Amino acid sequence: MKGVKSHAILLFSVLAGIFSLSLYGLLFGDIPTEFNDLYHALLDYSDREVNQVIIREIRLPRIMMAIISGAALSVAGMLMQTLFQNPLAGPYVLGINSGSSLMVALGVLSGVGFFNSELGLIGSALLGAFVFGLFILFTASFLRNQIGLLLFGVMLGSFVSAIITILEAGSKAEALKSFALWSMGSLNNVTVEQIPIILGVFILTCFLTFFIVKPLNILILGEEECRLMGYDIKKIRILIVFITALFTGLITAFCGPIAFVGLAVPNLTRMLFKTQNHMILLLANLLFGSFFLLICDLTIQLFSDVLPIPINALTSLIGAPFVIYILIRKLR
Amino acid sequence: MITIKDIVIGFDNDLFAIDKVDFQKGKVHVVTGRNGIGKSAFLRTLTGILEPIKGEIVLDKKPLGKYSNREISSKISFVHSIQNGVSFLSVDAYLMLGRSNFTNMIGIASEIDLKAIEKAKSIFGIDHLSQKYTNQLSSGELQLCAIAKAYVQETEFILLDEPTAHLDYQNKKKVYELLKQISIDQNKGIIISTHDLDLAFKFPFEFFLIKESDLKLHKIDGFSAIENEFNT
Repeated sequence: MKGVKSHAILLFSVLAGIFSLSLYGLLFGDIPTEFNDLYHALLDYSDREVNQVIIREIRLPRIMMAIISGAALSVAGMLMQTLFQNPLAGPYVLGINSGSSLMVALGVLSGVGFFNSELGLIGSALLGAFVFGLFILFTASFLRNQIGLLLFGVMLGSFVSAIITILEAGSKAEALKSFALWSMGSLNNVTVEQIPIILGVFILTCFLTFFIVKPLNILILGEEECRLMGYDIKKIRILIVFITALFTGLITAFCGPIAFVGLAVPNLTRMLFKTQNHMILLLANLLFGSFFLLICDLTIQLFSDVLPIPINALTSLIGAPFVIYILIRKLR
Repeated sequence: MITIKDIVIGFDNDLFAIDKVDFQKGKVHVVTGRNGIGKSAFLRTLTGILEPIKGEIVLDKKPLGKYSNREISSKISFVHSIQNGVSFLSVDAYLMLGRSNFTNMIGIASEIDLKAIEKAKSIFGIDHLSQKYTNQLSSGELQLCAIAKAYVQETEFILLDEPTAHLDYQNKKKVYELLKQISIDQNKGIIISTHDLDLAFKFPFEFFLIKESDLKLHKIDGFSAIENEFNT
């Protein structure tokens, strides 16, 4: 039980890190603001004070989205890695994002009324992620090879890209620009009014995840073991895909695709915490995921004057070499 | 008690049939037969993972098919022939997975769970492995841990698929002795499939043979029956 203490220390350190980075992100930026502005922006808001508006309307939603999307994508990655017993699985590489992207592309580029509404967008992104998740699950039932499944995910991504390119070629300049910006990924697209619903879905999904911690722990030993311990493995699998789709679809709808976070962070947490207890891994992924995206966001803000870096590009720059490192280490 | 009457075992096509066999608590039952004749399929059928092609298995007077997965897992545990060690999964954590029916909703262990694991570790002589990760164990150590995990599940029956297949002589003997001991001390019914008959025959086990000639499971008394089977 000596691990419990070190786990707690790690988790609390990261929590403190998240708190400090958030505070920094809320207070500092192109326009300097003071702690007083922050206090008023959060608790006693007046939209006539420019500093308060900047904090509440621009910085707060961005920081909140960094925290939520980092946490959500990391947990989604953990779920995929445990389900497929594959350290290289993640919502992005398996093409679950692609499901959402396809649906969003259909909505934005086709201009059909229902898809263009906010609810239509979220709903279709979630549906796209879920359907693609089930598709991957079905494929995994006969494609037992770890790398094979990844290749399948990558091919799924390429296939969807092709469809999206065709849609792009035939769409108007306005729609094309808005879709291109979405596909770069951004934490800035969310308004402060949208935060409660995003946060609501996120917390609900986290809650669902807590209830499958036990089967996840057994799933490490394989699906048959899970069945032998009394679980209905079919239900568990679909529930895992459903939760992954909720996390991934939610973030993809609002922030665009954000690559590799869901692959890199769960691997990092397993290495750091040296455990297969999903209760600890869940907490670790929530916190480390948030911390990781806050650092990415901070980097983007620091370079914003010189060079605007889309978040999807930054996470790929960090994530892709990390995946290669794992490939060499684990699948040699 | 597990009662089997007029059933056919198999996946898509029939493997072998059983006219009538009982497996009782407090005894070790050894099922043998040539490779591929369906020993593993038989054990899987007893866990409910595989359905018999024909007929029913009756567990404590109720057909196995009428039990839920959860109910079966509290009555029957199963040990695979090959164990895969998992990185970062300590032996303690691994054994705790066997307590899944007892731990609370998010898998947190109670005092009773911890005691059960301590007891199992001392019976199987694996105390010193507690903090080791399962992928760092030898196949013998891993096999003992797997049996210990089935033991802490506190089921009436423990089924083991070729538990000694990858072990050296010392470990084989140790496994058979432990199985004999827990079948008597804890009044558990134990069913194993094996090829290691030379050693098994030194123990007071009950033997069953799936005969090639009629593709049926027979209770056998002596080594001669086995020799006849494999010489033909």
